[in-house]
Amino acid sequence: MAYCNKVITDIFSPFQEHINAEQDVRDEIRTIMKDIERSLREIVISLQVIHSEIDCEKIHNSILKSRELFEEIRKGYDALDKIIPAGQYYRYNDHWRYTTQRLCFLASLIVFIEKGTLIDRTTTEQILGVHKKDNIHLDLEDYLMGLLNLASELSRFAINSVILGDYSRPLQISKFVAELNAGFRLLNLKNDSLRKRFDVLKYDVKKIEEVVYDLSIRGLTGAGQSQEAVTKTAE
Amino acid sequence: MSKNRGRSKIKKNRCFVAFRAFSCELDEKHDRHENIVKLSRDITIESKRIIFLLHSINTDIDSKKLSVLEEAGKRLQTLCDNNFKTIAKELIGHDPYLYHRAFTSGMQEFIEALCFFQYIKNNHLESWNAVNINFQYNDEEATQFQLLFSQYDFIMGIADFTGELMRKCINSLGGGNINDCFQLCNFVRAINTGFLGLIYSGNRELSRKAYVLRQSLNKMELVCYNIQIRGSEIPKDMLLNVIESQDIDSDVDEGFSM
Repeated sequence: MAYCNKVITDIFSPFQEHINAEQDVRDEIRTIMKDIERSLREIVISLQVIHSEIDCEKIHNSILKSRELFEEIRKGYDALDKIIPAGQYYRYNDHWRYTTQRLCFLASLIVFIEKGTLIDRTTTEQILGVHKKDNIHLDLEDYLMGLLNLASELSRFAINSVILGDYSRPLQISKFVAELNAGFRLLNLKNDSLRKRFDVLKYDVKKIEEVVYDLSIRGLTGAGQSQEAVTKTAE
Repeated sequence: MSKNRGRSKIKKNRCFVAFRAFSCELDEKHDRHENIVKLSRDITIESKRIIFLLHSINTDIDSKKLSVLEEAGKRLQTLCDNNFKTIAKELIGHDPYLYHRAFTSGMQEFIEALCFFQYIKNNHLESWNAVNINFQYNDEEATQFQLLFSQYDFIMGIADFTGELMRKCINSLGGGNINDCFQLCNFVRAINTGFLGLIYSGNRELSRKAYVLRQSLNKMELVCYNIQIRGSEIPKDMLLNVIESQDIDSDVDEGFSM
């Protein structure tokens, strides 16, 4: 019996304290993530407009609204930064990894619609509010995951653009995704989740190419119409 | 038109350059991870050898016991001073939690060996704090660094260590050291009590280990039961056969042969 007490006081009681303390931090993180995820869902909904509207004004408004909602998200990450102990980002990483990937995707979609360019890493960090923070940062893998999600969304966007009669958009998307694809081919991916997600990219590329093919075979990529649309997006 | 093409080329190059940089960053991370996995594997192998060495202790001969303990102690210290130090050095300036999965198995195996050593030597286990001191290092330039010693690794190492005690218990029975059997059984019972008192949610690894621990304990209790009830009926070295034949459905033996 003396053994028993000693083993418990020396080994198991400190361990229990350790788990309890960790649990407290995790609970706080979960509360913050709930807020971030709420804003995330609102942005997702707001951006769905691009699939059903061609009116620049409406799209512009939804982008503005999303940008505003990102303000909430930045507050969330700010709070997160204060809770995570220094150098322990990856200890609690599971709580926000997926959400961060989704947010990277949304940020990249916004930038694509606004400027038609690929979002860079620093911009993503700034939009999410993790730029130059003490204890949190943007993981490269999460950023890349976001870009892969973007490619899937754009393949849908290409199809819906055609439905709405915008025949120049698919060409722009096709070029953009081709560049993205070329970029990803430079990476030596391990057999991990990023690799599995990357394997989907070729199907997205294929889908977009099919749309472009359908358009060009019918002569719908012709100068007049697309020129007009190109200048529109350039503005 | 040509101006347009030139611009798109610059854009393309930017994308290209960015991905080149990403590629380097990812490669560096993978390489470090692989490196640590290799180091951890070496630690696992050496720890298993130390455990095997400790099993060879025959408690009847004191001088042999001492020499085995001395050798095991030295080898454990070498693991701390060399292998673990290399990992710690590799991780300077990086978040150790990112690479924790790469060396957790080596760490657990080491704790298993260390606990076994401590138990045989002093009949008790040191606390996490006491063990953690082994993972604080000083460089030639007196810069301090340390290796992440997860509390979970510690507890899981202890859970694995009870498996070794179970083997030792059966070995002791074979060797006729009946007192040892009871003592070992009591010790594992104490650890099991500790596990029963823990409140942990959702750690599958931990509950799996607690399950295996209970299996080992059941087996040891069966040994003690048989000693108690038949000890006076048959010669001691026959008891082992009795227990073996009763225990056909047990599969926790991990390929251990007598």
